[in-house]
Amino acid sequence: MDIASLQNAARTVRKTILRTNARAGQGHTGGDLSETDILVTLFLHVLNLPGRDPQNPDRDRFILSKGHGVCGLYSTLATAGLIDAAWLDDYLTFDSHTPGHPVRQKTPFVELNTGALGHGLPVATGLALAAKRQNRSYRVYVLVGDGELQEGSNWESAMTAAHYDLDNLTVIVDRNTLQLADRTESIVGLEPLADKWRAFGFDLHEARGNDIPDLIRAFEATRTVAGKPHVILAHTRKGAGVSFIEDRAEWHHRIPTTEELERAYAELES
Amino acid sequence: MTAAPTAPTNATTAPTETPAQDLRQSMIDAFFQAVDDGVNLAVVVSDSTSTAKLAPFQAAHPERVVNVGIAEQSLVGVAAGLSLGGYVPVTANAAPFLVARANEQVKNDVCYSNTNVKLVGLNAGVAYGPLGSTHHAIDDLSIMQGFGTIQILAPSDAVEARRMFAHAFAHEGPVYIRLDNAKLPVLHEDGYRFTLGEPDRLREGAAVTLVAVGSVVHEAVAAADALAAKGVDAGVVSVPSIRPLNRPALAHMLRAAPLVVTVEEHSVHGGLGSLVAEIMAENALGSRLIRIGIPDGQFAKTGPRAAIRAYYGLDSAGILREVQNARATVA
Repeated sequence: MDIASLQNAARTVRKTILRTNARAGQGHTGGDLSETDILVTLFLHVLNLPGRDPQNPDRDRFILSKGHGVCGLYSTLATAGLIDAAWLDDYLTFDSHTPGHPVRQKTPFVELNTGALGHGLPVATGLALAAKRQNRSYRVYVLVGDGELQEGSNWESAMTAAHYDLDNLTVIVDRNTLQLADRTESIVGLEPLADKWRAFGFDLHEARGNDIPDLIRAFEATRTVAGKPHVILAHTRKGAGVSFIEDRAEWHHRIPTTEELERAYAELES
Repeated sequence: MTAAPTAPTNATTAPTETPAQDLRQSMIDAFFQAVDDGVNLAVVVSDSTSTAKLAPFQAAHPERVVNVGIAEQSLVGVAAGLSLGGYVPVTANAAPFLVARANEQVKNDVCYSNTNVKLVGLNAGVAYGPLGSTHHAIDDLSIMQGFGTIQILAPSDAVEARRMFAHAFAHEGPVYIRLDNAKLPVLHEDGYRFTLGEPDRLREGAAVTLVAVGSVVHEAVAAADALAAKGVDAGVVSVPSIRPLNRPALAHMLRAAPLVVTVEEHSVHGGLGSLVAEIMAENALGSRLIRIGIPDGQFAKTGPRAAIRAYYGLDSAGILREVQNARATVA
């Protein structure tokens, strides 16, 4: 898919996120928008999904460790035609295919039930190790929030992934600099974050995380380094794509009003 | 009252000449057997290869062992990932660190995600007696019962342990096995079949029924022997399968007894005693129940395991004393 088509898909995903959260009256708008370009790049460009079959053992695996960004995931899967778009109408409703955090028993291409933070990387490490030990070709991608990196379990598994030379594993950090209550650097600082990953033995790449061509460049760069797990520090803006939502902590949980939804659509369509 | 289904009885007597066996050896035997049977096994440890007596298996199948270091959250998360990648992973580390440190990984990555992970809690209860409550696991049965999907098992001898591991590897889904490190005499004959969910009636007896789980089943059997010598006809039921459990079958086994005594190296809150209390209440059995274990709201004392068992009345002498006191009170 060409860049313009990917960017167009990202606009569709953003509108879907805003509409779906607004209808549900609940959601994590800021984080959904922050990760949108990363998810679009992955599902429409990077991931190898043979036959688009969610059971194919050779499919690349994606784990949304920041499980609260689930509406961004559903919106991307629907835009990619990997799930029924009508399921978004049931977002957060009783026993639906689209619950408020990913559930693998409910939604295809969800590999792990996340929502509690710090769980994606250990499981992704196991998945990548399974591929190495069995000479399977699939790759494993895990998207972590930046605030989530305060969870120690990430660093346990970062050590393990480097120890086992898991170069089929790529961590993408949604570095929007905001967590639930405030800036990460005000709560418990993560910097120097790039140095931390390098010190843990990772092949590190930085990217503009809301810039699809730059994300593609970073994903391609990870392929040139063997013998180490990869990390892409994706510098994003929480709420990216909508001016009055961008980079505002209160939009972690806020959902747009009808008037805000119209304004956001206008911005995205301009 | 509807008739309870008849459960298979394994009313074997304890073969007294049989040498005591380490259940961890049964586990390792089961690992070898599973690989021979074509199970795509991966054994995941957190610097716990010696705790698990894993050396012979690791020497034979190094490509099937993953050591994540001293990192229990990673242990369970990595195991879940290995499962999603096609392995049948089994974790083996000390029970207190599994259930407490990796609690949320067990809940979400294994139970909620329903991954095909087998979790072995080694040396549970107060097996690490002198090392203190950091190393005791008197809450594992309770904690695991709080989670959906997972089967919760505890063998009482080497024969049962081998059968239980074979079941675990054949079953698709999470299983927890509470495995003791004591060398235990064999209670079951070689032909014993572990049947998932079934309570295991070891002795018939009309005066009192002792209900036990795991290694203290042996204390209950010894107490029944001592009671018999005093003319008291004591029955013994082992509950190797905490979940699933054929509750009607257990209710049926308890129905005739005027006195029921549960024995568990675990808190009396949330383990076997609580389970039996539920079953007795739900079936309106009306007989007296005594729960022996670590009392609710307490950490266990620290010291040699035998001394801890004696302190809480978990040894055969303590069980005997409880039964005699209760019978004196009733009479």
